[in-house]
Amino acid sequence: MAVEVTRRRFTADEYQQMGRAGILREDDRVELIDGEVLAMSPIGPPHIGSVNRLNHLFARLVGDAAIVQVQLPVRLDAYSEPQPDLALLRPRADFYGTAAAGPDDVLLAIEVAQSSLAYDRKVKAALYARRGIAEYWIVDLNGGEVIRHADPVDGRYRRVAAVPNDHEFAPSLLPGCVVTTRDILG
Amino acid sequence: MAVEVTRRRFTADEYQQMGRAGILREGDRVELNDGEIVTMTPIGPRHGAIVDRLSRAFFTNAGDAAIVRTQGAVRLNAFTEPQPDVVLLRRRDDFYESAHPGPDDILLVVEVAESSIRYDSTVKAALYARLGVVEYWLVDLNTDAITRYLEPVDGIYRRVTVVPPHEPFAPTLLPECVVTTRDVLG
Repeated sequence: MAVEVTRRRFTADEYQQMGRAGILREDDRVELIDGEVLAMSPIGPPHIGSVNRLNHLFARLVGDAAIVQVQLPVRLDAYSEPQPDLALLRPRADFYGTAAAGPDDVLLAIEVAQSSLAYDRKVKAALYARRGIAEYWIVDLNGGEVIRHADPVDGRYRRVAAVPNDHEFAPSLLPGCVVTTRDILG
Repeated sequence: MAVEVTRRRFTADEYQQMGRAGILREGDRVELNDGEIVTMTPIGPRHGAIVDRLSRAFFTNAGDAAIVRTQGAVRLNAFTEPQPDVVLLRRRDDFYESAHPGPDDILLVVEVAESSIRYDSTVKAALYARLGVVEYWLVDLNTDAITRYLEPVDGIYRRVTVVPPHEPFAPTLLPECVVTTRDVLG
């Protein structure tokens, strides 16, 4: 039964204030999505392995063409500050040490999904597309596939498809970073 | 499609900290229900008048037998700190200066609802029953009905009755505090 309740939305600034005030602590695995502070599910070994694999893979491939950021904040707008499992960011001399990356800085966002697949496919994809994140991959650990989202137009990714096995592909903004699903899934 | 998401629940202590840190401000009409910070609907003139009418009737009829708190906080458990429209509290010399009243201090909670009527009659009622609010009155501005919820057992109010118009009624724990629907609705 749908019952009307209006949650108090928090801005990213208020969310950061919560961190500084000690209300949200280092071990609180949270992210801010559309004004809501969401608890991220605890990370188990399959997820750990996947993120480590992605980090190792892209660190070797991107060289100086991008900064590889692992599970750290990206400020998408005033109400959203997710922490993608892996993000390839435009190079910056300060490595985003003075301000978190914004949507234009994100060349590729990757989420590793186990229990969160439906959320990552629906809510996260819509958020990333709305903010114009050029490309977004979901590593579906249960299904054993990589789902590519590209061409964000009017808040939706126009191209959404699971990458065929052993097919070579690269992020559209980093065409030299060629990978296969085997590289990602192992 | 049902999408799994886990909101970070906030404790009443964290909620209070947000107030002190200026994240929640005086003008934020919010309350904490079961770990969620929700925005209360703005109070229209009729709502305001009913609250004032009822509190006047309570002041007159209860005298020193109870403390009448309007739109102030009560702390029902570690995750719930609502601000009911009117609460009748057991007398305490310090007027609850040292800590917000808890369920055992509460003789009656009254909510006045218009757009939030479904929430107040379902989610709120269940929450109050579960947390041991011994009696709950809900004034529905859409129908002018006053519903009494009594005898919370295992999270449900066992007796739910609509007050007949013009008939006198009183909180079970304060039988001398007799009011009629006219005292409330005018």
